[in-house]
Amino acid sequence: MVQLTRRNFLIATGWVAGGVTVLYTLRNRAVAVAPTIIIPNKESGAAWVQIRSDGSCLMYFTRVEMGQNANTGLAQIVAEELNIELEDIEAVQPSTSDIAPIAVTAGSMSLTAFSRPTAMAAATLRESMRALAAVKLGESLSMILDDAGGFQTADKRKVSYADLVDKDSVMVEFDDTKPSPALYTFDPQRSKKQVGRDATPIGIRGLVTGAAVYTADVPMQGVLYGRAIKPPVRSARITSLDTSGVAETSGFVELVRQGEFVGVVCKTPSALDAAMSKINVTWDLKIPINQDEIDRLIDVDAEMADGDLEHVLQDEAHRKDADWLIDLRFDVQTQSHAAQEPRAAIARFGDGSGAHKLEIWTGSQDPWGMKRFAAMDTGLSEDDVVVYAKRLGGGFGGREHYEVERDAVILARAVKRPVKVQWTRKDEFTASRCRPASAHRLRIATDDAGNLSDWWYGYITGHVVFSRERLPGWLLPVARLAGDMGVVKGALAPYSAPHQRVEYKDVDLPIDLGVWRSLNGAPAIFAIESAMDELAVQQGMDPVDFKIAQMKGKQPRLQVCLERVREMSGRRSLPHGSGYGRGFACGIFDDRSFVAVSADIHVDEIAQEIKVLHMCCVQDVGMAVNPDQLRAQAEGNMAWSVGMALLERFEVADDEIKSSNYDNYAIVRMSDMPSVDVEVVDQPSIPPAGAGEVALVAGPPAIANAIRNATGFRALRLPIAFADISS
Amino acid sequence: MKLKINGVERQVAADWQNENLLTVLREHFGLTGSRFSCGIGQCGACLVHVDGIPMTSCLIPVSEVVDKDVLTIEGLAAEDGTLHPLQQAWVDERVPQCGYCQSGQIMQALALLQNTPQPDDADIDRAMSGNLCRCGTYTRIRKSIKKAALVMKEAG
Repeated sequence: MVQLTRRNFLIATGWVAGGVTVLYTLRNRAVAVAPTIIIPNKESGAAWVQIRSDGSCLMYFTRVEMGQNANTGLAQIVAEELNIELEDIEAVQPSTSDIAPIAVTAGSMSLTAFSRPTAMAAATLRESMRALAAVKLGESLSMILDDAGGFQTADKRKVSYADLVDKDSVMVEFDDTKPSPALYTFDPQRSKKQVGRDATPIGIRGLVTGAAVYTADVPMQGVLYGRAIKPPVRSARITSLDTSGVAETSGFVELVRQGEFVGVVCKTPSALDAAMSKINVTWDLKIPINQDEIDRLIDVDAEMADGDLEHVLQDEAHRKDADWLIDLRFDVQTQSHAAQEPRAAIARFGDGSGAHKLEIWTGSQDPWGMKRFAAMDTGLSEDDVVVYAKRLGGGFGGREHYEVERDAVILARAVKRPVKVQWTRKDEFTASRCRPASAHRLRIATDDAGNLSDWWYGYITGHVVFSRERLPGWLLPVARLAGDMGVVKGALAPYSAPHQRVEYKDVDLPIDLGVWRSLNGAPAIFAIESAMDELAVQQGMDPVDFKIAQMKGKQPRLQVCLERVREMSGRRSLPHGSGYGRGFACGIFDDRSFVAVSADIHVDEIAQEIKVLHMCCVQDVGMAVNPDQLRAQAEGNMAWSVGMALLERFEVADDEIKSSNYDNYAIVRMSDMPSVDVEVVDQPSIPPAGAGEVALVAGPPAIANAIRNATGFRALRLPIAFADISS
Repeated sequence: MKLKINGVERQVAADWQNENLLTVLREHFGLTGSRFSCGIGQCGACLVHVDGIPMTSCLIPVSEVVDKDVLTIEGLAAEDGTLHPLQQAWVDERVPQCGYCQSGQIMQALALLQNTPQPDDADIDRAMSGNLCRCGTYTRIRKSIKKAALVMKEAG
């Protein structure tokens, strides 16, 4: 029997004003949903779902919203468990004071980590309500049957949730060490009403009317406009600073210098632009910033010639001197997030009359991290700081750090007024922490029957998760020794060979690096899938047949994706004429998400361009909570695949980052976008896994393999230009 | 200094007369549906109509649109809240992901349909290729434009 108690915690945080609330504590699963820096303790429950005294349902979003619409999927789960409609749920993005700390929104982990806890919280609430219904109807618990929005008895006596709650606050305590109530979401036998349907994302109306509120849209009385100078790399130090004329700018309010921080506050955005343009800084970079330096640092061949790479992921009966049929090096470029929203934050220090001394509005992937860092930065206690999590105009891994928030906090404190900071587009390109460039050497040999006998894959990449300045200096060497989980994504191929070695090294590069959609997944799988395609073609084999054969039956879900994508692509014939080709690729992300992609391309000799005409994508990420949003993510990943394969070229030269805006860093446009067909493989009995960055691992090699099919040209370097083929 | 925004005459206060149109819309009048993204007219997130012509408002000094008619995304739905057929198509096709660019996309699509009521794929490519969407929602945008065009044709 569920224990009903009151909890001051929720009353203090304004959660409970009558109604029934679940206080759901994560004990067993704490690691999976823990923020990067805050582990929930036994006392910090996560109260996410509530039936209010009028019978309506309030749900706090546990994920930051950045277009992945994971919260809509979680709301579908709540609706399923409570027998209500999605429209019956009032969804609220909580502040850091509304609920206990929750994990950073990253790594496509939202449905993986939160679907079960969310289902358990809602199911616990449902069963608590059932107990109340039993009392109210004078029946035993087993006689109380589900009904839409409440319960009923066999003789059709009905009671709604609204009938069961009153103004008294009831807290239901539950944790995941206790026996779980029945979870409708995860019952494969059950015919579901909410889970598995194409639900329209919550809040979509605001996105088409302009009413949606991103950080910079938050109305703020008396706000001033601020910005700080961004160094070319975070390790740079100021050698000279000239601010003459800044204070004379019309609309100028304050110039703030604090160590390497140089910022300005003005009354209007144009005054701020004018004042910032007068600041001249020279930097001691400590390391040269240019492409040659990057190429030198990731020179995998030089390093492998010297001996083993630093980390070994796989080593089984490795033979260095096999008769290599494939011995190719693949180079993958640096890429920028280039999210449509330049990041923004608003900071406001209170006069002491409010509940918090510092309020921050920001679109961060990690609101609780921002709260903690702001407290450390200002010397305030964490209780004095609140972060209002706003919708992000694109995240893609680039919005996890306390940076624009810090800019706003420092400047707001200096002027004792609320300050809004929004990075310029150039700031975004300079400081968003790129996906590192990488170089991959792949060697493959076969036995007499043509099966893989030897596999030797070595690569060097810039750091991903443990990049410079992402961790305290003292911690970096320790963390790196343990291995960077971002750097190893995608490195283990789904193919079997008796003799295998996979080794890598991750290095510092002269630009700031970090997490970017799929991490090392897309670069590594580009190399693997290109090499396997080349081997098949050279042996006169069909690449799809060859890859399936080399999985040796050990990758049934991936095999199904590949078979289905071949069938799908076959429904449309390639145009006749020269320069048309079709390519395939497949991949696994995080051991749980499977994808295969086909690309139809045209190498157009007259227009001198490579055009992707059509892509098919088959994706299996387990249970499809919202198939339409799985398709949406796959479609977006196809756009990113075209960008990575053909367009995006991050330029560094002359000790500068040259890519500064969309006019010199091309991302996919409408005219570049192929038509896309997506098929989702639903697996009702397999818990949902991530879908946000899966298809990107297979898209770029599918395009490269299509170019090979059309022209015989094997792309060894991304992005691929038309001129590469003709030369 | 005054201009007409979504049919309503508005006075620009002295402090804001040196700003660009986007800043005035957002910071002065609180019409935040038009958004800042590139600042150089390269992405279309700030797109509005000035006297019926689509323009990137981040590049226009507000002084240049004095006495002109400005239409922003906030002025597109009917007063009773009924969505414009383009907006409705955007909802029906579930276009937005992060959503940041979508106001500009819809305003550009509106200009397209005003000039070319039944656009083909090449028309859509031409008209829409200045509006960037990092999330890559282009296939759904294309579908929505065609759908809205049909709805508007049937409605006459």
